[in-house]
Amino acid sequence: MSSCCGNDTSCEKSTIKAEKGEIKAAIVGQPNVGKSSIINALSNAKLHVGNFSGVTVEKKEVYVKKNGYDVLMTDLPGIYAFNAYAPEEQVAKDFLIKEDYDLIVNVVDANTLSRNLIFTLQLLDMHKKMILVINMVDEIEKRDGKINRKRIEELLGIPVILTSAKQNRGVDEIIDCIINTYDTNIVKNKIYYNEKIEQRIEDLAKILQKSQHFRDKKYSRFIAIRLLDRDENIYKIIHDLPIFIEAHKALEKMYAELEAEFDEDSTTDILANERVAIVRNLQMEAVDAKEEEESLSEKIDNFLIHPVLGLPIFLFFMWALFQLTFVLGNYPMNIIANIFGETSAYIANLLPEGSFNSILTQGILPAVSAVVMFLPNIIILFFGLNLLEQTGYMSRAAYLMDGFLKRFGLQGKAFVPLVSGFGCTVPAYMAARTLKNPKDRIITMLVLNFISCQARMPIYILLIGAFFANHNQGNILFGIYIGGAILGLIFAKILRKVLFKGEPEPFVMEMPPYRFPSGKVLFMTIWIKSKMFLKKAGSFIAIAAMVVWFLSSYPMHDNLRQDYAYKINQTKNIQTKNTLSDELHSKLLESSYLGTAGKFIEPVFKPLGFDWRVTVSVIAGLVAKEVVVSTMATIYSVGTSGASSKKLIQKIRENMDFKAAIALIIFVMIYSPCLAAMGTFYSEVPQWAWRTFYTIYPNIVAWIFAYSGYHILSFIGY
Amino acid sequence: MKNISNLKIDEEGKVAKVIAKEPVKGRLLSMGIVKGAKIKVVAHTLARQTWDILSDNTKVALREEEARSILVEEMK
Repeated sequence: MSSCCGNDTSCEKSTIKAEKGEIKAAIVGQPNVGKSSIINALSNAKLHVGNFSGVTVEKKEVYVKKNGYDVLMTDLPGIYAFNAYAPEEQVAKDFLIKEDYDLIVNVVDANTLSRNLIFTLQLLDMHKKMILVINMVDEIEKRDGKINRKRIEELLGIPVILTSAKQNRGVDEIIDCIINTYDTNIVKNKIYYNEKIEQRIEDLAKILQKSQHFRDKKYSRFIAIRLLDRDENIYKIIHDLPIFIEAHKALEKMYAELEAEFDEDSTTDILANERVAIVRNLQMEAVDAKEEEESLSEKIDNFLIHPVLGLPIFLFFMWALFQLTFVLGNYPMNIIANIFGETSAYIANLLPEGSFNSILTQGILPAVSAVVMFLPNIIILFFGLNLLEQTGYMSRAAYLMDGFLKRFGLQGKAFVPLVSGFGCTVPAYMAARTLKNPKDRIITMLVLNFISCQARMPIYILLIGAFFANHNQGNILFGIYIGGAILGLIFAKILRKVLFKGEPEPFVMEMPPYRFPSGKVLFMTIWIKSKMFLKKAGSFIAIAAMVVWFLSSYPMHDNLRQDYAYKINQTKNIQTKNTLSDELHSKLLESSYLGTAGKFIEPVFKPLGFDWRVTVSVIAGLVAKEVVVSTMATIYSVGTSGASSKKLIQKIRENMDFKAAIALIIFVMIYSPCLAAMGTFYSEVPQWAWRTFYTIYPNIVAWIFAYSGYHILSFIGY
Repeated sequence: MKNISNLKIDEEGKVAKVIAKEPVKGRLLSMGIVKGAKIKVVAHTLARQTWDILSDNTKVALREEEARSILVEEMK
């Protein structure tokens, strides 16, 4: 009785209503099997997104309440095999081996069942309660294929569910099956390897059982298999135990004997061959899958990864994405800016004059506005990037780019973090984890600051808006982004040449079939990313802006205020009144804490054409790039009236010339990313030498380039 | 013996041996490129630097170096 799901009667046992506690399940599967779609298709599920402790890999947890149980499912990062390769896979592996959970939900893709099942067999070695979810069955059936669920259940000894997340078929059965499997106590193992291997497993397990860590027979068998599979992580676990010498001796002997008996180079190969044979047998007995003639994916690929057309098409997509972000994003941006402007003007008139009024209308509201205003741009860009990811085009882009990136000492996979860098440098640093070779990874991470993130966009938009004609703005913005990327590539080559010699890491990457994107997954991703941005904005950035506001408003110079109040009262001309009021603001700022600090550092930035206001804003940008614009808004004191962004543009035109604006754009393109990104880099790279280098070099490079830009422009007559 | 980089686009072969070192070998294995698997070259870039191969309904992108490490027999 291996089945528990579907229409089977055994399911009804679990319908008794009572509080029975929590069931912890781990959702495991190879990448691209549709785990996220399954999670999104579950009804009445609550999703919680966090991080795996200590690492920056996204951790999705799903809660479902059913039949008196709280089912908590943890979605582990995609993992191809226990022979972990990428750091995310390592996270999944560590969770599976070290964490406490009740059962495994293994999701596989019906289209690529045989390679998926090889990993399933590795999971079965664990002897845990387990469910096999065969997803995307609709695609097999469309080709008149058939999967014999019962037969697979018999052969593997675990319950099997056929699902199609797309058609919402069988997805909710997973919960019933989890509860039911949890309720039954039996774990059956039906997977046995060749006798010669089984003998060694048994012998090794007996040695392991001498240690108190491996008293459990099933667990010691699993550890023995992993050791025979030459699993380095497991080897490290036994390394410090008293049984190590005995186990190590036995292991060395077994490796040599088995490799001779099977005539293979490594026991890893022997076990791999065994698993392949078991899966082929299962495939023959239970799966009737027709081979596709020429799939739609291949037809699309004939075009999209065409040797000649592929690259221009790709560049067109990227260009379109940035045009869309700029042109489309502009409308809601203006609306938000106006709403905040009007609101703060209204409140300023409503409340009595004083520090509370000032802090609210000149400190808080402009700061929050400067952040929220850019949400539309961020949503559009993440929409585009996620669409590329979900449809499967992202890996095509990596394929197309590899030959090109290889020349700069990078590899095709580095393309994904580089492109993510256009969204936000923080996830980009995390995406660099797909690069296994530490050298490739560090080089990619070191040039990511050249890739302008979303948060730098407000600064560009402001400066472009102030100095370029409307119809040119999209092209200039595109040019800034591409220019930064090209500079990054050149630096990658330089870093590779100077710091490392040697070939980049091997490039082996799955290209999943093209899939129609799921709106729900798209929505969830954008929701999570926007929430993250707003959270960061709501607390961190706003606090930074408040600090800047405080530093720019204090110390109070009452004498100066009274002087001007008197002068303003004296004149009747409104024009003069406004000029006097502006004068007062700039004098107050100049003598504030911030002005004093800015003036102190000003000489460093003077050669770039920056005055103390720009200097202060740029330094505030180290906290977060969003803060650069909000700092300018505070410094130029444009928070009190409506349409503050227009007023800010006007102020910038008045206070900065074209050369300095270009120098500022160049400086912002290159210098250190925000504190959050730097923190991520620090947590990803433990070596202090790299951290120090990373902290210093972008700022020096930025200064040199901005200086050159300023003086070249001045030389040609601007 | 032939390897993948000797095949033309749309040409098929049967994997005879994977001579890549770990961890590349393990990665190829987990993507279905194992001894006896049927394999087809789907595409390569203009400069033949990157290869796209199909095996067990899975498309895998490889560099020339890795393509050379997969030895193939002719299909009968």
